[in-house]
Amino acid sequence: MEPITLALAKGRPAKSTIELLEKTGEHFVELHEDSRKLVFYNENKSIKVIFVKALDVPTYVEKGAADIGIVGKDNIMESQADVYELLDLNIGKCKFSVAGKPNHAIKNSRNITIATKYPNVAKKHFQKKGQVIETVKLNGSVELAPIIGLSDYIVDIVETGSTLKENGLVVLEDIENISTRLIVNKASFATKATEVQNFINQLQSAME
Amino acid sequence: MQRYVMDNNKNTNVKDFQIRDELINSLKNRFTTYGYKQVRTSTFESYDMYSNIIGTVNKDEMIKVIDSSGKVLVLRPDVTIPLNRMTTLNGLNEDNQRVFYVLDVFRQSNEQADQKESTQAGVECFGDQSAETDAEIIMMAIHTLKDLGFRNFKIEIGHAGFFKELIQQTNLTSNELDALQSLIHSKNLIEIEPFLTQLDIDENVRKAIQSIPMLYGNPEIVTEQAKSIIQNESMQSILQSLIDIYELIKAYGEENSVVLNLGLINNMNYYSGVIFQGFVDSVGKPVLMGGRYDHLSEQFGQPNPAIGFAFEVDLLIHALKQQGLTNNQSTVADIIIQYDKDVQIEALRSAYLLRDYGYQVLTYSTNSNKNSSNLGSKFTIEFSSETYLLHGQGTKQAFSNQEELMSLLQKEEL
Repeated sequence: MEPITLALAKGRPAKSTIELLEKTGEHFVELHEDSRKLVFYNENKSIKVIFVKALDVPTYVEKGAADIGIVGKDNIMESQADVYELLDLNIGKCKFSVAGKPNHAIKNSRNITIATKYPNVAKKHFQKKGQVIETVKLNGSVELAPIIGLSDYIVDIVETGSTLKENGLVVLEDIENISTRLIVNKASFATKATEVQNFINQLQSAME
Repeated sequence: MQRYVMDNNKNTNVKDFQIRDELINSLKNRFTTYGYKQVRTSTFESYDMYSNIIGTVNKDEMIKVIDSSGKVLVLRPDVTIPLNRMTTLNGLNEDNQRVFYVLDVFRQSNEQADQKESTQAGVECFGDQSAETDAEIIMMAIHTLKDLGFRNFKIEIGHAGFFKELIQQTNLTSNELDALQSLIHSKNLIEIEPFLTQLDIDENVRKAIQSIPMLYGNPEIVTEQAKSIIQNESMQSILQSLIDIYELIKAYGEENSVVLNLGLINNMNYYSGVIFQGFVDSVGKPVLMGGRYDHLSEQFGQPNPAIGFAFEVDLLIHALKQQGLTNNQSTVADIIIQYDKDVQIEALRSAYLLRDYGYQVLTYSTNSNKNSSNLGSKFTIEFSSETYLLHGQGTKQAFSNQEELMSLLQKEEL
């Protein structure tokens, strides 16, 4: 059997997934907290794990550099990758929301500006509602934008809402629920059907 | 001055072109062995033809030009439609029933602004409407992928009607349908259930739609599973038609190259029967797509059933390179001739003769500054005032005239 390549988003999703895999008896001996290695194998070399940046996981899987990826739905939506989305790992739960200043309901007449780390998600959401928006792509501290007048609203992931609250913003509209998902390359699903299916079953049984 | 660093065309250097040419030759040879004949269509097509035919190419994706009379033309965005028009209007005969093409198609999109042209190599079979024809077309795809050396590939077979039948029993809005299609397209089992539950759909139909994404895999198992969601007679006959095709592929002995995928939905809405796509290892997009489209020709005023498919040549090249299946020929020519100026006549006459026999020959004068010793070739022939020598792989033989040279070469080639 050929090894399957698994792309994991660095950080929490990677840690939880490895824990799940360890539960099913797959051990990654080279892997430990302060390791800087980016490629790991399990003991019988049937699984190759690569660590990549979360937003890149869908790209690795879509292009076939990895057969399977485990990553947040937020990154799958933003990358618009053409992949299969087969399993919900029920971790990393949060949601995409539109937020802004209180008493500042979303106008649907004129152009509005949205600051976000996820311009594709924002555009798609407002397109569905038939509204034209302008997006400002930021890479962090998005909450700042409406406060200093860079944008009217923001689109961001909201977990507890405490960051919004501390910056005087409120959720105005929910877009979609998010959690960590398992995605599969469409070619691998066809050509490595057994290996992929076995891996999914293994993970599923560990989750129960 | 502006610097033109690189053009966006891929495969524009000499070596890439050889790989591409070899690939296309291999496809052409295979298509020919099934009795198909090559054709071409015009690069410019009428915009109206594409925009009037429902369910074809997205209008925004077409590249338009305006001619001197003000008519809007498009650069050929697809080959199937003009080919269909050609055979339908010319009337079907044994000459144009089976055709293939290797042509560039032109489309533009915002996401991939630098990729406006791609090459498609495809086949179309007109007039016939049988499981045998469908199976033969799919076999051509399998056969060609084998020719190219792919060890691990799969053809996914589905049916355009299966999903349509289920949808007809619901009254989804086009927005809901789009959302549903993209959920099925990504086999999103997580979200499809809550999505369907909030819609007003009959319980049985809902369960059937929900199971579609996972009706995938070994055809014998999948057809068994699919029986439980059959809603009416036409779905029954659709399933039967897929079983028939599978049995024929089995007769060819290639059942391991195909899987059923009833969740396969093609964006080209003109498909009416079996649809299929082919995947090779590690390439996330299908390298070939095709299917049966029996009603397209009705838009040209006459029924003319048809089935066809096309390879994405650029994607195939990418896959071949990635899997190291390209022939990395390091020789620049078959024979390199090096000669001293005083025996130039003999050398050039030999070159003339060898080229006549079909060898690739390069000639170098030893007086010139060009160093030919590091060029790769199968043979090197040395003409000096003292002696004529033929260097083969590890051999070195003297000869005195052209007849001797030819007989030495023939022996070496054996």
